[in-house]
Amino acid sequence: MAARREPELGRRGLAITGLGTFTGARVAERLLESDAAPRIVALDLRLPRRLEGRVRFHRVDLTEPTADSLVAEILEKEGCEALLHSAFFTDPNPDLELSHELEVVGALHVMNAAAAAGLRKLVVASTAQVYGPHPDNPGFLSESHPLRPQREAHALRDRAEMEGLLRIFAQRHRELCVSSLRPAWIMGPSVESALTRRFEAGRVVTLLGYDPLLQFLHEDDWIDAVELALDRDAPGPWNLAGDGVLPLSTLLRLAGKSAVPLPHPLLYRLTHLESLARTGDPPAAFYDHLRFGWLVDTRRAREELGFEPLYTSQEAWMSFVVARKLRGYR
Amino acid sequence: MSERDRRANGPLPPEVLAELRASVRALRVELEQRFGVRDPEEREEDRLETALESLAPALAPVADDPPAPPARAGLFEQLRDGVRARLEEIDVVKLYEAVRERLAIPSAGDVSAEVDDFGLDLRYLARARRWLDWLYDTWWRVEVSGEQGIPDEPRVLFVANSAGILPWDALMIAHAIERAQPSHGRPRALVADWIATLPFSQSRLARLGAVRACAENAERLLAQNQWVIAFPEGQKGALKPFRERYRLQRFARGGFVSLAARLRAALVPVAVIGSEEVHPILFEPRILRRLLGIPVPITPTFPLLGPLGVVPLPSRWRIRFGEPIWFDDVSDERALDPLYVNRTREQVRGAIQSLLDEELPRRRSVFA
Repeated sequence: MAARREPELGRRGLAITGLGTFTGARVAERLLESDAAPRIVALDLRLPRRLEGRVRFHRVDLTEPTADSLVAEILEKEGCEALLHSAFFTDPNPDLELSHELEVVGALHVMNAAAAAGLRKLVVASTAQVYGPHPDNPGFLSESHPLRPQREAHALRDRAEMEGLLRIFAQRHRELCVSSLRPAWIMGPSVESALTRRFEAGRVVTLLGYDPLLQFLHEDDWIDAVELALDRDAPGPWNLAGDGVLPLSTLLRLAGKSAVPLPHPLLYRLTHLESLARTGDPPAAFYDHLRFGWLVDTRRAREELGFEPLYTSQEAWMSFVVARKLRGYR
Repeated sequence: MSERDRRANGPLPPEVLAELRASVRALRVELEQRFGVRDPEEREEDRLETALESLAPALAPVADDPPAPPARAGLFEQLRDGVRARLEEIDVVKLYEAVRERLAIPSAGDVSAEVDDFGLDLRYLARARRWLDWLYDTWWRVEVSGEQGIPDEPRVLFVANSAGILPWDALMIAHAIERAQPSHGRPRALVADWIATLPFSQSRLARLGAVRACAENAERLLAQNQWVIAFPEGQKGALKPFRERYRLQRFARGGFVSLAARLRAALVPVAVIGSEEVHPILFEPRILRRLLGIPVPITPTFPLLGPLGVVPLPSRWRIRFGEPIWFDDVSDERALDPLYVNRTREQVRGAIQSLLDEELPRRRSVFA
């Protein structure tokens, strides 16, 4: 989809942080396969084997105190024009301090380096979960809605703090096109995250008496959207999700999964123990997403970014379900 | 000895005996011809007779249909066998399905794989319609007037007085509008925040078309050309004590007026009589609201009768639609002018109050 369009911003040099994440690796692979493959500069602790020899790799630890000048130096030396920042923990990390260092301070280093190196474009892969699930959310959240992650959701609070810093940064550096992408839950045949693991089993824990509407974004549509944001001069936050919404109970029925409804006071206490045990699972805060609505309004991305998801929420969900079922048979 | 037993031990019927004899004779003739075997005794006919007589008890059940039960079955065994046979005939699942079908109770199987943006499920609604019809026609015997005045426009915002803890009024007004103008689809009722997140009722109400009341939701619905029912009294209206029934509380900030004005929606005042008596609220203790986080109204039946106390009282309802208010000639700046919005809001409130005041003296009693 994006490969066919003429890029508005040159892709002469594109730096990507977080090649180990699904987003970083997939965008790099997609761009390398396209006709006008840009030079890709990878900034990470290590490089996935698939990408060895295909990208210019620099070992950078974003949690180091002087990471910003190191990144700026690399960006200048490599002559990069744009940067995709996707170095975030896919799973909420139990080490809260390390998590904060990478998610907030690391992102700040990247922002400052991007400004110092005179980049034209900075795209940050955030999430729609930063709006927070709340009983008083409107049916569809627009980009201007305040970010209200729950108090106990550390990873989301860090992400929201990062978004706040990014907004201030964008106001200060008008010459730099800063966009942050806020996708709904990403589903698809190959994506792996704490979320997909929650839904992989045949039984899914739900909250007794609650049946929220959910929306999903297919992994291919997500990568397309990242490419769009890299191509277009599209500053600001962008909500991304597939068409349509479905109640959780219907999703589970479509997938042939059974729900295990638990009363929420009990479940919140149980999951609190789980996070104390440091299993790396999302804490109790995850279940708020199965309790209150946090749907996003994607009108702005459709009208101004040209985002056209090929998969509806239902199709994204079913592609995930079917792929996992096939994997089980193999 | 039972009739069956006597038959089993008695002599065989003559036609059966004749047949057996013929076949034995044919067998013997064949044995003689083939192997040269010959029975030494001459009186084979008589011997055959005694042999057959001794065989009779064993042969009898074959001739007798159906098989006989054990000769001396006790009362308990008989009862057990009877119940077992009866149970085999009844399929419990089918019975449950039949009952559910009969009562038209929507279940998890009656949801469709498609819902609209706010969770309206047409299949679930069709399933629940029988119940809604029953509530409308039989329980509350709703009388509607002024429905000819509902404008046939793509965007209409209905504004009504609200009462009762549960949004029965929202369901019934939606039903009345849908019956008057079926071509516009199900009107969407905006319900109070805490109802919209109440466990169990939330998902069902959403499938029936209720939406949490907030400006963004109302705007999105109207922009999609859906009809919307708003209750500007909000929580204050839903929880007002019984003695203040049919006295309209203050109308929020008038967001509904500027919304209707901006989107050029026709605004129809609606007065509902009867809904304020279904859950007469004596008082609503603030301490319970603090403790539980949701308002807990005390009515004569709730929480005294437990879950039964939630059953709404069968008062007689009247729904009256007033003259629509048009915003076609209102400019965008004016639609946002606070003074204009405030004035129009009070005008709408006055219209609903006068509809209520006109209708109230017409009814003889709450239930008749």
